[in-house]
Amino acid sequence: MVEFTRNPGTPQGAETLHSCIIGVGGAGLNVLDRITLDRTMEATLVAMHTDVRVLSHSMAPAKLQLGTDLMRGVGAGGDPDLGREAALFSREEIRKAVDGHQIVFLCVGLGGGSGSGAAPVVAEIAKSTGAMVLVVATVPFAFEGRRRIRQAEEALELLQKRADALVLFENDRMGELILPKDGIQKAFSSADQLISQCLRAVSTMVTTPGLVKLGLDDLTTALSSSEGRCLFGFGEARGQHRGAEALKRALKSPLIDQGRLLHHTKNLLVHVAGGEGLTLVEVEAIMKQVGRNVPDETQILFGVAVDPKLGESVAVTLISSLGADVPTRDAPRPSEPVSRPLTRAEADDLAPPASLRKPTPRPAETRRAAPPPAPEPEPEPELEEPENEQVEETPAAPPPLPQRSAPVEARQEPEPTPSPEVASTDLDLFGQETRAPARREPTPAASTFPDEVELPEPLEDAAEPEVIVEAQEEVVVIEEEVIAADIVEPIPETTAIPVTSRQPEREPEPEPEPPRASPTKPAPNRTLLSSVIQTNGAKAPSDDMFAAGEQDRGRFKDTEPSIVEGEDLDVPTWMRLKKKMKR
Amino acid sequence: MARSTIYAGLEIGTHKICVVVGEAKKDGSIKILGVGHAASRGVRKGEIVDFDKVQTCINDALVRAEDRSDVMIRNVYLGVTGAHVESINNRGCYRLPEDQLEITEDDVEESKEIARNVSIPQQNVFLHSVTRQYIVDGQEAVRQPIGREARTLEADYHIIHGVRGRVQNAIRCVREIPLEVEDVVFTPIAAAQVVLTREMKSQGSLMIDVGAGTADYVLYEDGMIAASGCVPLGGDHISNDIAMALQIPNGRAERLKVEEGSALFDDVDPDDMLRVEDDTGHLIGEAPRAFINEIIALRCQEIFELVKDRCEPWMGKLGAGVVLTGGCSLLKGIDSVAHEVFQIKVTRTGSAPVSGVTATFENPMFAAPIGLIRYAQILDSEKPFLSPLVRLSRKVSEMLGSIAM
Repeated sequence: MVEFTRNPGTPQGAETLHSCIIGVGGAGLNVLDRITLDRTMEATLVAMHTDVRVLSHSMAPAKLQLGTDLMRGVGAGGDPDLGREAALFSREEIRKAVDGHQIVFLCVGLGGGSGSGAAPVVAEIAKSTGAMVLVVATVPFAFEGRRRIRQAEEALELLQKRADALVLFENDRMGELILPKDGIQKAFSSADQLISQCLRAVSTMVTTPGLVKLGLDDLTTALSSSEGRCLFGFGEARGQHRGAEALKRALKSPLIDQGRLLHHTKNLLVHVAGGEGLTLVEVEAIMKQVGRNVPDETQILFGVAVDPKLGESVAVTLISSLGADVPTRDAPRPSEPVSRPLTRAEADDLAPPASLRKPTPRPAETRRAAPPPAPEPEPEPELEEPENEQVEETPAAPPPLPQRSAPVEARQEPEPTPSPEVASTDLDLFGQETRAPARREPTPAASTFPDEVELPEPLEDAAEPEVIVEAQEEVVVIEEEVIAADIVEPIPETTAIPVTSRQPEREPEPEPEPPRASPTKPAPNRTLLSSVIQTNGAKAPSDDMFAAGEQDRGRFKDTEPSIVEGEDLDVPTWMRLKKKMKR
Repeated sequence: MARSTIYAGLEIGTHKICVVVGEAKKDGSIKILGVGHAASRGVRKGEIVDFDKVQTCINDALVRAEDRSDVMIRNVYLGVTGAHVESINNRGCYRLPEDQLEITEDDVEESKEIARNVSIPQQNVFLHSVTRQYIVDGQEAVRQPIGREARTLEADYHIIHGVRGRVQNAIRCVREIPLEVEDVVFTPIAAAQVVLTREMKSQGSLMIDVGAGTADYVLYEDGMIAASGCVPLGGDHISNDIAMALQIPNGRAERLKVEEGSALFDDVDPDDMLRVEDDTGHLIGEAPRAFINEIIALRCQEIFELVKDRCEPWMGKLGAGVVLTGGCSLLKGIDSVAHEVFQIKVTRTGSAPVSGVTATFENPMFAAPIGLIRYAQILDSEKPFLSPLVRLSRKVSEMLGSIAM
């Protein structure tokens, strides 16, 4: 019976399988590539993107260009509306691709144009065909700017309504935990890997008949706190202590933080899969160990499956989610400084000399630039403003230093401006430079300056050099716009902030004054202190101009200030007291 | 395992650098063999700012200590402090496997592991993790859970951590002397071992070691360490306050504080003028004594208030009151300021009597370095078979927990 439903129409090949993985947008495609390369899942793989160039590099067997007529093969440029339009235009094709599958996995990197815009449409279409829809989404890095994050949130909201289950990965989290040790390539590829593992695990879990079955409903329960972060861990091991080892690996997952984050979960889904040699003792040991890592009140959703494909090995999957309030978003910032030097260093290999990056603008660029600028410029200034402090340093560097390489700019540029011209912004989420099938960045370099650049991953197919040059050129142009628009006013603000924040109350008073004055009037209400100290040396200046600053800290002026509740404790107590009384 | 061993403790203080050599006898008593101390330079608020100067001073102190004790010092227990040191209490809960009834050693280890597994800032390192108590099926204050029948076992931990780089720097500084660092100890923990008696610990007491650069505190409740930390204010701040108020050099202010200073100003005659001389003995002015005293009192009050803020949750539970030690506790009237702030009994004391140089342990200045010897003894008496590395985190905790009783 099962056999029948699973392979009803073998002759038709891929179409006949019942699960389907769709990658939408750049990030989605990256994950899809990873899955394709791994060949671990039996599913139809469909790549969808608005940008025909990106699509052409995808390894997925089936590709679908969104909004062929509307977009003319160019990316959505970070505009979700365009992405949505494009997807709506290609409604029929999407339906055709999705139709006939019972489970549809949707991988998408939120925040960009194609991903955020098209994914909800795809999800809705998939839903309307009666399939279960499971979305695996990534949220952009914090440093990519408020706007992208907001776009991601909006898309997330739409997806939540349409998807049966939503697994959310935070780029910040992944970057934070992988980057310090490894190169950026590895960071991105391991992020992709993690997501593909997740997909594989979930699909195995949901599709294979289990001894103790877990269904989508269990998955939804495990992921119940939807705004929270997804905790996912996957481990596979073989050999003597395979059960313990697999669990250990699953707990090692950066998203679980050595199992520490499990202390905060309400629901935890544990799935143990193994070959036919899986023993009850092993499963019991694993579950026992899991039990130690979670609080008593956690609901453990447990599943076991025997999958002959696994052979000797045992695979453990942990899925859970964390409410948004759990203190984990402590370090979105650190990831940025780490990633930047890496990118630059890496990019240097790829980068053509900056002087070469200035081909004449192509007509295409003007065409592309034309429609979206309208919405673009207005939101930018005010949106960017709170971000300025961090964002500004990114664009600030390039203009005076033209040796900054093109790929770097291309990567970073989307953070400050989700600008219309950048062909495939979503890609940035997942590092196009990370793997052999690298797309946008390497490609321009290769095609534009084939003789000058040593490409780590040479791209054989000359994918429309025209378009590529144009894309690259656009990137440069935007860069300058951004700088012009942004940098002018924010700079004074940002510089002012650190100064004021240190000692807000004391700052305004410009005039330093010998602390000698203080004894004259340290405490108006105390008779004792109002008596003037009589010394020979100095005259007592008026205490109005009393400004506590560095000089008030006396011998501690070179030390690290000890600030408690806004007061610098190194400044004599009586001085501070006096100031308070004056106020 | 008890045998006569010689330990050396090194405290790099803001005011003085002190090396104490002590002998731990077989019967558990301690004899101080020699103390060497030198004025400290290059230390601010308990943290080393100038390596070279500090190393010179350590050498001075070391030579003196070696001279007096006639012991060659190779290994020291190093006391560290600084505003970066923080502490938290954490509880690790472990449920016993269904089929198991009695608590075994493995279960205890497991619960400790969970308790120790707290998130501290990434750049921080654990200094101590001290077992406070075990809770067996909700029954609190269990000291020895092994062998008991229970379903859940909880371990209560007090964890002290500090910024890795700063702790490392202190160790490196000492290594370059060269001296080997046996263990790093948070100073007040060491001081409490000799200042507080077991009874005081079980009644509940707060020890404040007011030094020159920092005021370090440890709070014991019910025999267990409950809070510890460091307020980056101390005697130097008092001197600085005086110096800035009177416009006199710091050295002069320091002397004025030690010789004439007091934290009592209410009953002082307003006409009582204090001669202020410069370093050469020339009169540079006069100041009302009450005024100076008030400056001192204000600062002391602030220090205590900061400590009190941090110990607020335990404030009603201190039967043995507040114990002041450290060099700055010699200041006249500081106990009445403390009493005003804490509203409980305040005592000033140095180390508990040990045999040896009497002047040493009577002076509260030396409470912490003598404490280091005591600490070392406790450390070694417990589980001597563990490697020094494991000892740092694991053993320390256990023995401190046990002596806390």
